[in-house]
Amino acid sequence: MMLLPCPWCGPRSATEFRFCGEAGEAGARPDPATATPEQWRRYLYLHANPRGWSTESWYHGSGCRRYFTAERHTLTNEVRSTTAAGGAP
Amino acid sequence: MFATSNGNGHRRNGNGTRPRGYSAWDLVRHGITGSDWPRAWREHDLRDHYDVVIIGGGVHGLAAAHYLAQNHGITDVAVLDRSWIGGGGSGRNTSILRSNYLTPDGVRFYDRSVKLYEHLAADLNFNVMFSQRGHLTLAHNDASLRTMRWRTEVNKLQGVDSEVIDADEVKKLVPYLDTSSDTRYPILGALYHPPGGIVRHDAVVWGYARAADAHGVHIHQKTEVTGIDVERGRVTGVQTSRGRIATGTVLNATAGWSSLISDMAGVAMPVQTFPLQAAVTEPVKPFLDTVVVSGTLHVYVSQTDRGELVFGASVDPFASYSIRGSLEFSEGIAGHVLELMPALSRMRLLRQWAGLCDMTPDYSPIMGPTEVEGFYVDVGWGTYGFKAGPVSGEAMADCIAAGRPPEIISAFGLDRFLAGRLVGEKGAAAVGH
Amino acid sequence: MTILPITRSTATSGRLGPQPGEVIDRHRTLDFTWNGRVLQGHPGDTLASALTAAGERVLSRSYKYHRPRGLSTASYLDPGALFQVGDEPNVRGAHRLLREGDDVRSQNTWPSLAFDLKAVNGLAGRFLAPGFYYKTFIKPERLWPSYEKVLRTFVHAGEISPVPGTEVYDKRYAHPDVVVAGGGPAGMAAAVAAARAGASVLLVEEEHQLGGHLRWGGSAELAALRELTAAVAAEPGIEVMTDSVAGARFDDNWIPIVQRSLPGVAERLVKARAKTLVVAAGLIERPYVFAGNDLPGVLLSTGVRRLVNLHAVRPGQRAVVLTANPDGDAAAADLARVGVDVAAVIDARRGEGIVAAHGRGGVQSVELTGGRRVEADLLVTAVGWTAPTSLLNQSGDDPVYDPRTARFRPDPARLPDNVLAAGGIVGEGSTDELVAHGDATGREAARRAARVARRLAAVPTAVTTPRPPVPQPDAAPVVVPELVTPDHPELFTNGTGGFVDQCEDVGLKELRTAIREGYDSVELLKRYTTATMGPTQGKLETVNMVAVLAQATGRTMAETGTTTWRPMYAPVTLGALAGRPSEPVRYSPMQPWHERHGAVPLVAGQWIRPEHYGDPAAEVTAVRTRVGIIDVTPIGKLDLRGPDIPKLLELLYVNKWQRLAVGRVRYGVMCAEDGVVLDDGVTGRLGEDHYLCSTTSSGAATVWEWVENWLQTAHPEWQVHVTPVTTAYASINVAGPHSRELVGRLVEGLDLASEAFGYMNVRSATVAGVADCVLWRIGFTGELSYEIHVPAAYGLHVWERLMAAGEDLGVTPFGVEAQRILRLEKGHAIVGQDTDGLTQGFSAGLGDLIKLDKPDFAGKPELAWQHERGGHPRLVGLRPVDPTIVPPEASQILDRDGSIAGRITSSRMSPTLGRAICLGQLEPDLAEIGTRVTVRHPDGRDVVAEVTDPVHVDPEGARQRV
Repeated sequence: MMLLPCPWCGPRSATEFRFCGEAGEAGARPDPATATPEQWRRYLYLHANPRGWSTESWYHGSGCRRYFTAERHTLTNEVRSTTAAGGAP
Repeated sequence: MFATSNGNGHRRNGNGTRPRGYSAWDLVRHGITGSDWPRAWREHDLRDHYDVVIIGGGVHGLAAAHYLAQNHGITDVAVLDRSWIGGGGSGRNTSILRSNYLTPDGVRFYDRSVKLYEHLAADLNFNVMFSQRGHLTLAHNDASLRTMRWRTEVNKLQGVDSEVIDADEVKKLVPYLDTSSDTRYPILGALYHPPGGIVRHDAVVWGYARAADAHGVHIHQKTEVTGIDVERGRVTGVQTSRGRIATGTVLNATAGWSSLISDMAGVAMPVQTFPLQAAVTEPVKPFLDTVVVSGTLHVYVSQTDRGELVFGASVDPFASYSIRGSLEFSEGIAGHVLELMPALSRMRLLRQWAGLCDMTPDYSPIMGPTEVEGFYVDVGWGTYGFKAGPVSGEAMADCIAAGRPPEIISAFGLDRFLAGRLVGEKGAAAVGH
Repeated sequence: MTILPITRSTATSGRLGPQPGEVIDRHRTLDFTWNGRVLQGHPGDTLASALTAAGERVLSRSYKYHRPRGLSTASYLDPGALFQVGDEPNVRGAHRLLREGDDVRSQNTWPSLAFDLKAVNGLAGRFLAPGFYYKTFIKPERLWPSYEKVLRTFVHAGEISPVPGTEVYDKRYAHPDVVVAGGGPAGMAAAVAAARAGASVLLVEEEHQLGGHLRWGGSAELAALRELTAAVAAEPGIEVMTDSVAGARFDDNWIPIVQRSLPGVAERLVKARAKTLVVAAGLIERPYVFAGNDLPGVLLSTGVRRLVNLHAVRPGQRAVVLTANPDGDAAAADLARVGVDVAAVIDARRGEGIVAAHGRGGVQSVELTGGRRVEADLLVTAVGWTAPTSLLNQSGDDPVYDPRTARFRPDPARLPDNVLAAGGIVGEGSTDELVAHGDATGREAARRAARVARRLAAVPTAVTTPRPPVPQPDAAPVVVPELVTPDHPELFTNGTGGFVDQCEDVGLKELRTAIREGYDSVELLKRYTTATMGPTQGKLETVNMVAVLAQATGRTMAETGTTTWRPMYAPVTLGALAGRPSEPVRYSPMQPWHERHGAVPLVAGQWIRPEHYGDPAAEVTAVRTRVGIIDVTPIGKLDLRGPDIPKLLELLYVNKWQRLAVGRVRYGVMCAEDGVVLDDGVTGRLGEDHYLCSTTSSGAATVWEWVENWLQTAHPEWQVHVTPVTTAYASINVAGPHSRELVGRLVEGLDLASEAFGYMNVRSATVAGVADCVLWRIGFTGELSYEIHVPAAYGLHVWERLMAAGEDLGVTPFGVEAQRILRLEKGHAIVGQDTDGLTQGFSAGLGDLIKLDKPDFAGKPELAWQHERGGHPRLVGLRPVDPTIVPPEASQILDRDGSIAGRITSSRMSPTLGRAICLGQLEPDLAEIGTRVTVRHPDGRDVVAEVTDPVHVDPEGARQRV
């Protein structure tokens, strides 16, 4: 598998990480107080499935145990950027 | 849209005949005369209109075309494939058939598929080499033994042959399995499903292609769909790399690419595309008569009639459209196979490959109409699409002919996700080959 | 055309006199057996060279037609030399080195290699068209299983023993700057140049020695080989791996290398993350397709040169050489030099050709274009080359056919920056030119490796540990000289017949038939005829198949294209891929005690736990009447610290947490966002900002990630720190009416009286002299009980002290089975057993726990809608009317019409009640207490059961509150 540049630990084999699916605004959690069933289930089940650049969440389970966001190309598995959850580093 | 199920009045591409001419006698006749066999399917110019356009020339798309013609007389049908027929999941799977599912809906559906497979060779006049050699799902802990029993009981109530057997009986069926108690994951027993087995996957594709062609269906290989025209909520045409086709009915049967095709029609799909890898070893003399599956060890293995072992596992750990495969897959599969059958360490892995699976949240397919009129889907097949090919083709043909889903697929509609009515196969399907 | 005069050879043995480049040790002799007959060879011989030297010509029988086959490539790829060696099947006989005592057998021959009964298939060949099995055995359907059994007896392979071998396989990680795949002149030069530029290099060569084609060359080649070998040896930065294969190239240059012939291990898998990869795989000589091309005695020029120059073996007595290139000329010269009669040299560059080889059991004559026949027992072909582009394909480059040089060629421009190609795979040249190309490519590989190293080091990280020094900034790109490949005639088949794939026994005519049937793309043709799918993986056959297809369809070779070269480049044993067994196992610190006391082990995920100590029912009775202790170390434990913990717990759990006082414990259930029950456990508040949270043992890792996800992504502003402490503590549950007495004997500084330490409270205390133990007064068993979390190093000590101190109280160790019975009697559901992957909260008996008036918690909307909808299944208690019948778990509960209305999820004989008791999931209309339902026993009986409250024993909970 490819290398993933963890924002905390540097480039590591993807085997150290867990893929957590779509990240960013599109996959954001609706307000549970006002969400309609349709809105809530879109959040649960309907995620982007691009053949190209994808913004997604990863967890470095065998490393720093931090979540971060990665921009990855789903055909080449190239990773062009990673951002730590909650900001820095 | 098709008012009658016999499709009267529909234009036919050719003479609707069943393919014939494959038999031992014909083999001898051609051997003696040296005469050519007829083409299994023909090439055609792309027409600018078809009544039905099926996207995806795999077993699902071709079976749907065949049953549209055979069962409903709808023969003005084009099957489009971006590469060669059977080049996607249909030619990349591990060709395991079974019907021992967990939910009554699932069992009934796959049982129909196995029944169709049992007579497919005769129906298509093409030997698909369905080998009903039995299917073993190993239990390594009491929780999986409990799930096996659950499946068995549901199966039996649906009339499907399944039973839970103990480790000694497992050993009798597969002597190479290490059933001793001092392994890391001891084999406590298994779900034994005698009608399960393997089939020659490519032959199923070719058999359906040949039969559909004989009915007048046009098969267009190397024809990539680049767009779907929708006007006022209705499908009006398909854009392809070879030109536009006007049509009022489109079936999306494209597995790993299904969300890309549905996006063209503006229909969102609750699927994520994951690679599923498989591998084959060099041949050795036959020693493994049944299909062996271990959910705990994420592996399934069978031996082909050529003597090769075919291995599969669960999908890759992250979504991707890459079919380059990974070393981790073959390392994992080898380790797990040797956990089960330690005598195989000298066997050699010959090649590995990957296919693309459109995984749904409830490990069940999405079949039927969509919010766009005339746009049908037969997708979400995840890792178990091949075994459902015939029944899916039959049901989708019914669905397209009648304009509404038949009872057998009523649980699998696209609307179930927003309605929160998921199908309960999730428990059993984690690695369910 | 040159017809040479016949000169009879005087040699009787197949072994020639000493050759300049030979690799055999003539001073030593090795005995081995061939189909039971004792033969001799020398160290350095391959199995096949030793057999050829001993005069053996027929080495195998073919797959379908059982035709006799001999050597052709005399290399790893040789399809005619697959042997069974002892217990090992499919050994590459033209590669494997001979060892003393080898038991070598031909495969798939019966009754013998010389007389093979299945050779009658050859007579029936005209009826066994490709895919003949698709066209017959169709009817009657009932006979297909019998046909299939017959088909399976034709499997063309060795046998695998059912007894596991004792050999060891190994793995190793490597982080080289450069991997060079291929140790010919270009690869050796590339490795030396890269190493001189400061790179660490793995130089990987499939053969037993470095040197590639130089090894079987003349004196100039041998001199160049000596020079290159010395240069490689002089570079400490190069690690040489011979008899090793770079099997694949995965993303980011993740390269598996299989090392063979190592001392102590059968094979070793080296997993290399190379900063750059140089593919210097050379060229593979391509066979020619013509009638009789599979007869023993038809060899490729490289095969002949290997046999003569490396192994000093005479491949025949009288030869015809078909040559289209200098290598064919060199083979003819080699043969003449060692005294083989070269009866004819047919030069394809001058338009000369052959029609067919004739003979029974081997070549006897060659028919030349024009009709003339030449007697010969050896036909050598040198008709062109195939570039083995597998690793380049896997890097993203699809090779394109070049008619001028008659091969598919890679385009280095399409390769990613970290993959380069050197030497023959790119183009031809003199030894000097190949070395120069390798040298420049090696320098460029080192330069790019330094760039990759800098890029990797440039990833910003929070940790500021010192980094290794990063190589100097780039020099300018190295200019790699071009290798100018001379024109080569396009020679694939002369159209007269023969076999395109000798592994699979697929002939030219069969391919053409299949193409006319419509299998007219490379992938369809391959799948339909199985051509290229055998052990040589298409390396010898694919291009010829493409050529046949192109000719038959009128398309060009480039339009026809080629198949995808998939991993592995060469077959790899499962043993090497698996390495040593590495399934992790977890034990509690008390495991030695359990083993000494007869515990029956239970595999529970990663953990091994005591299922029971002999009599689970007695263990239950001990807990209900006296006192028992159980090892519950695998329970997941999270230590939570910080002021915002209540907010976190409110979000995670369906119930309320804001008012949990210090010293109190509460049971909680968490659901996922779809409302499905995720996990449960108790959480105690140890201090103002300090909690200890427990999870199920199987859910520990999942819950920890779930908690971190909420904290890191949704609420990074919350101050909560989570530490997993599952194995920091050994956990012991002391349960039963005498548990207070027992714990009281060991605890210091803690009043166990109910009013001081009541039900659902938590305290820290010293137990058996061990400070900082955490005690929870909870009751999964329904009895008065204390769960003691002991610093792990003292777990065994505290366990043994409990057993000793409680001897007079009748303290009894109990296992998982007794605990399951106890909790079932008490009606406690187990997540994952009494619920499944779609069970939402209100179907798990949690109705009173779920607080929909909380503003938010995970899964709340779905649970609210489930509550509104109603009609969901219920978790109920069940009691068979016949108290002696214990319906197995997963027995189905049937509605009046026979449809499934639920299932038994837990079921045991209750020692306390003396009757069968169950939990089950049931449709709501049957879930009223007192309803009688039908349970379908797996043995086919229908058993009547009555719906009850889930709590079977002590529904008031009096026993646990004392």
